[in-house]
Amino acid sequence: MTFFNIVYITLLTAVLTLVANLVGYKNGIVDSIPGMLILIAICLLGVLMARFMPGKLPSVAYIVIIGCVITYPDFPGAKIMNAYIAKVNFLALTTPILAYAGIGIGKDMDAFLKSGWRIIIVACVVFFGTFVGSAIIAEVVLRMMGQI
Amino acid sequence: MFILKNWKLHAVALVIIIISELIGLIRFNVGPGTVILLPMLYALLLGIALTPKGLNIMKAKDMDDASGFITVTLMLLMARYGTLVGPTLPQIIQSSPALILQEFGNLGTILVGVPLAIWLGLKRETIGATHSIAREANVALIGDVYGLNGAEGRGVMGVYIVGTVFGTIFFALMASFIDVLKVFHPYSLAMACGVGSASMATASAGVLASLYPAMKDQILALAAASNMLSGLDGLYMSIWMGLPMTEWLYKKLYPLKYGAPAPAREAKE
Repeated sequence: MTFFNIVYITLLTAVLTLVANLVGYKNGIVDSIPGMLILIAICLLGVLMARFMPGKLPSVAYIVIIGCVITYPDFPGAKIMNAYIAKVNFLALTTPILAYAGIGIGKDMDAFLKSGWRIIIVACVVFFGTFVGSAIIAEVVLRMMGQI
Repeated sequence: MFILKNWKLHAVALVIIIISELIGLIRFNVGPGTVILLPMLYALLLGIALTPKGLNIMKAKDMDDASGFITVTLMLLMARYGTLVGPTLPQIIQSSPALILQEFGNLGTILVGVPLAIWLGLKRETIGATHSIAREANVALIGDVYGLNGAEGRGVMGVYIVGTVFGTIFFALMASFIDVLKVFHPYSLAMACGVGSASMATASAGVLASLYPAMKDQILALAAASNMLSGLDGLYMSIWMGLPMTEWLYKKLYPLKYGAPAPAREAKE
């Protein structure tokens, strides 16, 4: 996808998110615009970095890191940026994505229904496996270090 | 600008979003946990309902357009996600070795998940569904690497949705049931509570804390720290370890079920 198409879709998503942010979380559109502009800048910078940096990392890897760095308490202006960004509710960002995802899924509805129950079982096992895996390692390390 | 020209699609999306947000968050208690229904779930269901199998308002062209750019719509969420992690970094840096090492437990799920998924008959869905616990960052990663409109995307979206709706109740129940075995120290379980989303961590750590009131503060702090850490490393662990491991195991196990090597994956559309 061309960079400009990514820009257009990001702007479109931003507008839809501002609506969701107003309707669902009572954050005024004008109040939320500065935070949204910061988020847009993070995304586009991340996309450019993924294209021009060595290592072929996906753009999400850069986007998350940039978001982390600029809100790190010691980063210049982090406090002000955090305050602006806080106006954009995390959940408000998920609603537009899932609206498009729902429409897009319609295309593969048969495949989804066919694999649906299997994925539900796998999901439960994934949650269980991750939880127990992490508990086992924590238990072993804590015992080795004599902390429990 | 051609990509925005399908105004009908975007207008419909806008209506879906407004309706979903007006319904708002619904939570109800079931036993020790809570089932949470978020606007994103209604948006998903409304979107599906408008496609040809349902009301047939969205046509093939609209569905193609939509599935073509879902990955891009995820970017803003990821930026916001990074900004949630940033302010917690100073605390994360002070984490103990046990907290850091238990993060590798995330990989344990692959060893159980891939064989099960293949046995159940899932194909490339396996990759998306089992490579991680499927939170937002993992959905974005699968979208970036494979596209969300293929089998891998179906896998990760499926686990993500299940986790969003039933995650808190599942984690709350799991914490109390595993504690009954008395195999793990409450501190170990507290760290395990943090592997998923913040609401999963809150629910399961809350259960543990009520079982061990004397250790309440440590339990809640460990779960929160583990959860922050997962938010930071989950994505990168998936990129460098989880996803390659899942692909490798899938290739090894696929022939055991089907007697033929795994076919090359669907091209990213």
